[in-house]
Amino acid sequence: MDERSLDPEALTQAILARTSGAPCRRARALACDFVDGGLDGAQADLLRGHLAHCAACSALVRALAESGRLLPTLAEADPGPWFTQRVLRSTSRRSAGHGPDVRAAWRKLLHRPRIALETAYLGAVAGMMGLYAPVPWHSLVPPAQVWTVPLQASAQRAAGAVVRVEQYTAASLRRTFLPLREASPAGLWQRAVAKVRGWLKRLEAALKPANP
Amino acid sequence: MEPTPLLALVRNGDELAWEAFVRRFQGRVFGLAYHYTAQAEDAQDLAQEVFIRIYQNLALVPDEDGCLPWILRITRNACIDHLRRRKARPPLWDLSADELFDLRSPEQGPEEAHLEVVRRTMVHRALQELTDLNREIILLKEIQGLGLEEIAAILEVPVGTVKSRSSRARLELAQKLAAAGMGG
Repeated sequence: MDERSLDPEALTQAILARTSGAPCRRARALACDFVDGGLDGAQADLLRGHLAHCAACSALVRALAESGRLLPTLAEADPGPWFTQRVLRSTSRRSAGHGPDVRAAWRKLLHRPRIALETAYLGAVAGMMGLYAPVPWHSLVPPAQVWTVPLQASAQRAAGAVVRVEQYTAASLRRTFLPLREASPAGLWQRAVAKVRGWLKRLEAALKPANP
Repeated sequence: MEPTPLLALVRNGDELAWEAFVRRFQGRVFGLAYHYTAQAEDAQDLAQEVFIRIYQNLALVPDEDGCLPWILRITRNACIDHLRRRKARPPLWDLSADELFDLRSPEQGPEEAHLEVVRRTMVHRALQELTDLNREIILLKEIQGLGLEEIAAILEVPVGTVKSRSSRARLELAQKLAAAGMGG
């Protein structure tokens, strides 16, 4: 018999290793209930027996118990002597129960994640507008006309464009709907059939393999 | 004074009642904000913001037992918003032991008090190493003492998840503390 086999703990570990494996996993599953006093007597005794021989589980249970004692003491913290005064000062300027004030709304707007993108967009739009606006100090035109003359020209150009779009739309509508209104139902049917036949013919030609 | 009569007085515009209300809950609000932000200055600003929100929405504050969970919920939301804004700059979780003297502790001798601060620092650091959900469950359940249903409502997860995660989170925390030398 060698010296190692005389150590009962080594023997237990050897037997456990060849049978169920180390029971630490089961011990850890019960650890919280054990610390909270939620285990019945027999289970608690079994766990105590394991803890007496397992340093790792024992340390874990001690840490669990210590954290259970410490955690509730972290619930409150002292914000400092002036905190209450700061809050009272801030709230005395506001009316209770009303919506947020303008400053708070402005601060909230500035904290929005896309504020930089939106500012850049507005800046770009303003820049584009600035490109087409005359520079007042380089112009000899009186200040009132500096703004009105180009605006009038732009308005005239826009009005011309609107008229052209209107004329084009009216012509398109006439081309499309006038023949339909004048045609009889039989004529419309023939026209539709002819159209479908034309499509089929084009499709057939497209699918037909090219002659060698 | 119970929260309900105090709230009734605050709603009637009694400034002394509002002061009492602030003094009553400021430790909890600041404490929770401090655990989220890990920076006393940020936590103070957030706590102040929370009280301003409460003042502006007094009609929404629930009476009796629902009062504290409601306050903790809006504190948590304010902290999450703050952390989202701060995402570009990762928070500094490394705290000096001096900062943790802010955490309220019972009357103790200097040596005991120092050991207590060391232990609290260890707990605080170990908390920061947990996953977000586990940390929040520990903060709300073990530290703030909220019920499972209240935590589930705040975190918007099923009660079963809070229940099963709670033991796992405690064990994870204990493992980190044991690895750091506590309980050894």
